[in-house]
Amino acid sequence: MLSFIIRRLLIIIPMALLVVTLTWGLVRIAPGNFYSAEKKLPPAVEANIRKKYGLDKPWYTQYGMMMSNIVRGDFGDSLKYQGQSVNEIIRRHLPYSAVIGLLGYLLALAIGLTAGTVAALKQNSGFDYGSMSLAMLGLSVPNFVLGPILVLIFSFWLYLLPPGRWGGFSGIVLPVITLSAIYAAYIARLTRAGMLEVMRSDYIRTARAKGLDEKTVLLRHAIRGGLIPVLSFTGPALAALLAGTVVVEKVFAIPGLGNIFIQAVLNRDEPLILGVVAFLSILIMIFNLIVDIAYGFLDPRIRYE
Amino acid sequence: MKDPRRLSQILVLMFCIGLLVNGCTSSANSRYFGKTVAPKDNILRYVSGSEPETLDPHISSGQPEARIYMAIYEGLVEYGPKDMQPIPAIAKSWEISSNVDEFVFHLRDNAKWSDGTPITANDFVYSFRRGFAADTLSSSTELGFFIKYAEAFNGGQVFVKKGDTFLLAKDFSSEEQKPSTGIGPETDFHKFVQSPIRLTLDGDEKKRAKQIDADPKLKAAVAGAEFVPVKAEDIGVEAIDIYTLRVTLRQPAPFFIGLLAHQFFRLVPKQAIDKWGKEWTRKEHIVTCGAFRIKEIRPYDALTLEKDPNYWDAANVHLDGIAFYPVEDNATILNLYKGGSVDAFLNHTVLTSWIEQVRAFKDEYMNFPENSTAYYSMNVTRPPFNDPKVRKAFAMAVDNDALSNFRKITKPLYDLTPTGIFPDYDKARAKVSEEIRKERNIAPDVWAKYGKFDAERARKTLTEAGFPVQKSGDGWVCPTFPTDKVSLMFNTNENNRSIAEFVQAQWRQNLGITVPLKSQEFKTFLKDRHEVQYDGLAQSLWSGDYMDPYTFVGLHYGYPNNGDAGFNDPKYNKMLDDANAELDPAKRYEMLARAEFYLMEQQPSIPLTINATNWMKKPYVKGMYPNPGTLLPWKFVYIEQDPAKWDKDVDNVMTESDPQVEKQLQELTATQKTAK
Repeated sequence: MLSFIIRRLLIIIPMALLVVTLTWGLVRIAPGNFYSAEKKLPPAVEANIRKKYGLDKPWYTQYGMMMSNIVRGDFGDSLKYQGQSVNEIIRRHLPYSAVIGLLGYLLALAIGLTAGTVAALKQNSGFDYGSMSLAMLGLSVPNFVLGPILVLIFSFWLYLLPPGRWGGFSGIVLPVITLSAIYAAYIARLTRAGMLEVMRSDYIRTARAKGLDEKTVLLRHAIRGGLIPVLSFTGPALAALLAGTVVVEKVFAIPGLGNIFIQAVLNRDEPLILGVVAFLSILIMIFNLIVDIAYGFLDPRIRYE
Repeated sequence: MKDPRRLSQILVLMFCIGLLVNGCTSSANSRYFGKTVAPKDNILRYVSGSEPETLDPHISSGQPEARIYMAIYEGLVEYGPKDMQPIPAIAKSWEISSNVDEFVFHLRDNAKWSDGTPITANDFVYSFRRGFAADTLSSSTELGFFIKYAEAFNGGQVFVKKGDTFLLAKDFSSEEQKPSTGIGPETDFHKFVQSPIRLTLDGDEKKRAKQIDADPKLKAAVAGAEFVPVKAEDIGVEAIDIYTLRVTLRQPAPFFIGLLAHQFFRLVPKQAIDKWGKEWTRKEHIVTCGAFRIKEIRPYDALTLEKDPNYWDAANVHLDGIAFYPVEDNATILNLYKGGSVDAFLNHTVLTSWIEQVRAFKDEYMNFPENSTAYYSMNVTRPPFNDPKVRKAFAMAVDNDALSNFRKITKPLYDLTPTGIFPDYDKARAKVSEEIRKERNIAPDVWAKYGKFDAERARKTLTEAGFPVQKSGDGWVCPTFPTDKVSLMFNTNENNRSIAEFVQAQWRQNLGITVPLKSQEFKTFLKDRHEVQYDGLAQSLWSGDYMDPYTFVGLHYGYPNNGDAGFNDPKYNKMLDDANAELDPAKRYEMLARAEFYLMEQQPSIPLTINATNWMKKPYVKGMYPNPGTLLPWKFVYIEQDPAKWDKDVDNVMTESDPQVEKQLQELTATQKTAK
């Protein structure tokens, strides 16, 4: 188990560097520069900027400089937002996304797990059809549609909640609901499918044959197996949620990491793009590792060599 | 109706309909748009657009930043709230030399930084020099290149010294220089800066060698000479005493005072920059000089300002603070406004689909002419648009009036410079147009249509250019036109696409040519357009930098230029130089108008629309006007708590009288007679 974790952790570093290299290449291929704007810069000013940021040097020198800094954990300063380091920007904006993402996912888990389990236990009942139809709807309505509908109802018709911006509990209610809808739907469907499969498996039949009551069968045996599909979904989903969800952040004007990342790409803000990409890739790999470890606890059949 | 289930269904349906109807009527019936409650804390909440790049006014040339800088930094002059004409700020008055190439500013003796340090002429000298320094990396330096040696200093150029004397520019150029007329006391620096312009060469050795090799006369002259770098101390800015500043230009520039309100010319604090370097704009280090100072910085969320008690005119600052919210999504901005979370928002933000609904709220929707134009540049370096006849044909085939009707809020544009923004220039244009008509002996009714939409003439002109347009059924075809070699390029955006499709349809209908559309991501698009690496046509927008028609007429001046058409015509350049050397403003405008007329005959671009301001403010926000650049001098702005005094059925907010604003403006301009 320990050697498995160490091996996986060691792979993360070269993988992240590879991702950074590929991203760097893509940013370089993209036409345009961080300083290009509607109005053209005088050639002398452009030359000054290129010199200052080392853009006048050959590409391999630039790549080498960038890599040697990144290996030391220094992504440098944002090109667009002067005097602000990339590390500082990520540190500052991660919490916004993380709060909304985490709350959104917890809400989704609460709704999804309950609805999915009940639907599986009462298969083909009215509740099953009702909740699964709702889940289908949740999956099909994109959050850039759901967000504005919620704003219309709660901000303009009922004047209950603000239509956007960070600030207080009332400010995060709508974004969290918007964010959770699609995940709740997904989790509900995954749970239902997982539970249905588990409930028909041999070990559940064995448990029942032993004379265990239905509650113990469900909570001690069935739910662990039924949750495996949800778990494999949770790793990448949580990483993506924590790192910011562009659409919801845009609709509700939340200063999260997703918003920052999109702006960085549009601005060709290379250090910031690389910083966020590296951070994201490491986050996803770590979450996947955690998920893999958690499998072992949920399913006794899984062993780590 | 006996079935209880059916009854409950009907009740639910009625509830839903009620909700919908309620939702619609609450906005349609009320006088104002959405929730309208004046903020009790007297702090204005303003959506400022994208997150400000930096709080250093020298570095960013952006519009979102410009409005923030106007609140926290001040310069010699400020934009007037309605007409954007310069009004006194830290300079209480000024004098201008008879050639309009030298200015003496008299500063107030009570202006202070937010840390309490007095503001002196030396602060301006420092700020100007820092702005032009190469390592400041300002993107607005070009605006100040009129200042003597500023361009040479910014570009790292060198003077050429031979023995004890410097080589002079006039000996190596055909351009004649008008002798300058200095004003103010004579000093050593003044003698230097008033002496004939020195020759400057590239600072880079290789480039300089190339430059020298290309000119035998120059080569002979520089033999054995010494190259002396142009220093910050050489640029034409001088503190005569602590409250008197003198600025010397390399050429007459009648619009120069108007330029000085731009963010690039606002004061930056030497005391903070020397101490903190690039970190001086942090909350804990920043020192400002405007009506407001920084209270809190929460990037991407809010920049909160509070009234600065050290500001020299603090008694006339009405707001207790301003909260700038950086929000970019247009629908979100409108949501925030309608929900009552903000009091006003930046220009160009009401989505086309909302305009019909929003324009009914006349007291809130600001739709006024703007010094900003939209046009299509044509690549004059590649066929088929290297032929002026083809360019003319395409221009004449677009019905600008129909386009503006389609766009709802814009006005048709026929030249480079928008009409209705510079009234005196409009008069000059009308006069010049009439003169040219008489010179060419053309009937007035024919002349009135000149340069306007004329499908018949467009087809004729295109046929003359070698691409015959033939009748085909109800429409037209132009089989020989190389549509595979042209495209209409624009940056990805729904508005841009709808305009492009509209114009594409016009060409198809009037010329029988379907020009392919090409949508590109913004930065990619900018690169292709700036380098004139596009086939055919590219969308362009231009917002004037200052309140003088030259900001538009000069678009295609010199090379490379901001016209992005690859156009370069020495005759046109000379016409503009001559115009700017003219000291009589009326005559100068006529000369500019002639140059503009000459240029439009070459047709490097297809004029489309004069843009319009497109933003909203709550009826309780007063002293805030939709001026042509939406640049808002914040100290005039106030929040009216008494609903009886809110804007109600205001016909035209620009002409509506506001005694408070008028009195304030009058007191401010009293020290300078020439300021409006």
